[in-house]
Amino acid sequence: MFDPIKTLLILIPALPLAATLLTALLGKRVLRERSHLPAVVAVAVSCLASLVLLFQMHVETDRATGQGNGEANQAGYERVVTLWNWSTVERAYRLGGRPDETPIAQTRDFRIDVTLRADPLTAVMLATVTFVSLLVTVYSIGYMRADPGYWRFFTYISLFVFSMTMLVSVNNFILLYVFWEAVGLCSYLLIGFWFQKPEAAAAGKKAFLVNRIGDFGLALGIFLIWTTFGSLDFQDVLSGPGGRTVHDTGHVQGAAITAICLLLFLGACGKSAQFPLHVWLPDAMEGPTPVSALIHAATMVTAGVYLVARSMPLFAASVDAQYVVAAVGGLTALLAAVIAVTQTDLKRILAYSTISQLGTMFLALGTATLAGVTAGMFHLFTHAFFKALLFLGAGSVMHATAGVIDVRRLGGLRRRLPTTHWTFLFGCLALAGILPWAGFWSKDLILLAVGRQTAPLFGVLYVMATLTAFLTAFYAFRAYFLTFHGKSQLPPEAEEKLHESPRVMTVPLVILAACALVVGALFELTHLFGDFLEQTPSLASASAESDQVPAETLSHTTVALTSTLVALAGLALAALLYLGPREQLVRRLSDVMDRLGLYRLSRNKFFLDEIYYGLVVAPLKGLARLCCLVDRTLIDGLVNLCGRVPLWDGAMLRPLQNGMTQFYALGMILSVLVLIAVLLI
Amino acid sequence: MHHELAFLYNYLIVGAMLFGIGAVGFLARRNMIVMFLSAEVMLQGVSVSLVALGRFHNDFGGQVLVVFIIAVAACEAAIALALVLALFRRSGKLDIAVWHALREDNQPAFEEPELPELPAETPGDWPKLTPAGVQPEISPEDTDYRRHV
Repeated sequence: MFDPIKTLLILIPALPLAATLLTALLGKRVLRERSHLPAVVAVAVSCLASLVLLFQMHVETDRATGQGNGEANQAGYERVVTLWNWSTVERAYRLGGRPDETPIAQTRDFRIDVTLRADPLTAVMLATVTFVSLLVTVYSIGYMRADPGYWRFFTYISLFVFSMTMLVSVNNFILLYVFWEAVGLCSYLLIGFWFQKPEAAAAGKKAFLVNRIGDFGLALGIFLIWTTFGSLDFQDVLSGPGGRTVHDTGHVQGAAITAICLLLFLGACGKSAQFPLHVWLPDAMEGPTPVSALIHAATMVTAGVYLVARSMPLFAASVDAQYVVAAVGGLTALLAAVIAVTQTDLKRILAYSTISQLGTMFLALGTATLAGVTAGMFHLFTHAFFKALLFLGAGSVMHATAGVIDVRRLGGLRRRLPTTHWTFLFGCLALAGILPWAGFWSKDLILLAVGRQTAPLFGVLYVMATLTAFLTAFYAFRAYFLTFHGKSQLPPEAEEKLHESPRVMTVPLVILAACALVVGALFELTHLFGDFLEQTPSLASASAESDQVPAETLSHTTVALTSTLVALAGLALAALLYLGPREQLVRRLSDVMDRLGLYRLSRNKFFLDEIYYGLVVAPLKGLARLCCLVDRTLIDGLVNLCGRVPLWDGAMLRPLQNGMTQFYALGMILSVLVLIAVLLI
Repeated sequence: MHHELAFLYNYLIVGAMLFGIGAVGFLARRNMIVMFLSAEVMLQGVSVSLVALGRFHNDFGGQVLVVFIIAVAACEAAIALALVLALFRRSGKLDIAVWHALREDNQPAFEEPELPELPAETPGDWPKLTPAGVQPEISPEDTDYRRHV
């Protein structure tokens, strides 16, 4: 029987995989400058399939809501498709005792099936990922034209789309880990795409190594899940607050669940660039700009957010873990926003902005309420559009100016690059959270969810988030004004060749700009997004208990008003400082800040790279030198000794080989005599 | 019985003497052909012992073995002489000491010990025989090594 959901679920990752293989095999010799074709076609069909899946899921959830009166409303709708069994270890899990003593009923197989799942959370992620991927892929046709690694680029991009779609649609933690690593690999390959550049190669290595720390945490978390629950399937582990063990011994509480959550969150921190593991993301901007837009802004870095949202039933059972998530998120958001204020590299400003926005998402998830999770995922959704838009706009500026990316060398591009200018402005407005752009709605929801929490920690975090909103508006418009307004500071050779990007690049920009304008209002005002996402069974069940909305301590209007005012204030300050010739004012302000020490801290990214160098890299280098010394002297010495012993033996025996035949014959005869003598005695 | 044992001893003594002469010859001489001949003598000494023992024990195995030894010795002689010829062609000498060059690298080279002066040959000492036929022409190179044979 034809099963639309199963077909779609398989189709969405399978097509990019096919494109990867096709481009990898044929790209260099056959396809050449047409290497983009398989990737574009595959991602386009995947995107279409994702949208159909989204629609299908909507129909199904509606039906589920309609049938069950209220009760099914809680259960939501999910669908698990098992493709094949990957690996089985029989009776791997047992409640205690030796395996031969434990009764069969108390054991459980370790079973990894290749399963895909369809629920609203997955559907939303799939639609976001494939949609942004499609636009970025199309944009790359123009941006990467004439690059010698053209085919390589599209191979990596389609491999990434495959891994990312698998990451959000698999149904157990092991496969999640596999594709978690796969997207990390794609990220590494694409950051180091121009590997001839030493900075790019170093940035790729840094990203990979920093991610290892997080991945180590994730792996430990998965091990702990197995020993605690006896299963790694989502529907077992994430069936309610605290999950349920395979033997139904009740919900897991206490230290175990907190440890699992913190380890999972460590993994999320690595992938989503949260403090203190955020240092790789700004350096990752060495990659091609479409990659920055797709992987390091819109999709891959949100994998951590997805992981936490997916594991929400676990987080719901551990208040401590929630506090950690919220605090780390809030702190990262503020820290990255402060750093972004003084950066001068356009892409780096956007990178710190990404870190800051991801922090905001974690802050929302840290509330562990349905409203908070929905808000966080909604922000992920809108952020994907406007941050991809901003990065692609920055790429368009780089394309136009032949690689100038320092905002101090830009300026006055408003009239020369009209399309880029307008779309970038839309992106900034969305990022700053100005009504009615998308960012406003999602940020507003997050602030609301945080503000309604009663714990005192969230009071502090609310203030921090509001401050972040102010800084966000400020640095977004600082970048905008410096790039597109004022006098042109371009070097003359770039000035000559200045041109608007080709249509293949501007059309994705316009589409994304339109999305950045409408998606927020469209889905928020109709409550479409929230209502749909609530149908995710794990979210619904996780939040069922914790979601006792307290008396309306904070009204929606207050939050909306505050955030708008704050954003406008940021915008106004940026306009005051950077619009028009007010260099003196800027200098005086930065002097004051410098005296407070803030300016230097922010400019130097809080010296975190240096601290890491001092605390981690330098000691490790010392250790490496020590190991090298031990290896060179001790180990090599032993090995060489083993080699020397036969040499010495040989030297001792060498006089026997003196070339005189009679001597040999005498030796033989004497030996025989000795032998005979021995035998006779 | 005693008689037969004594008989056997005679043969064994002859075999042992042959073997000893061969061994001494092999060790003492440097001419390759002579060394080869010495080896053959050793072989024949063994063969004599084998035949004698076989006869003593009334077992034909010994004789059979000796027939084999003779056959193998014939083949071996062909090979050995071919080798000697090849070595001679290469070095121009039959002296085994020439191949001392095949020693290990860092071993001291063989030095020809100074031979005592040969007593001057006084033709008058030799019995005068009537020359028969034409006297063969002898190249000085040949006489050079012959002296040491």
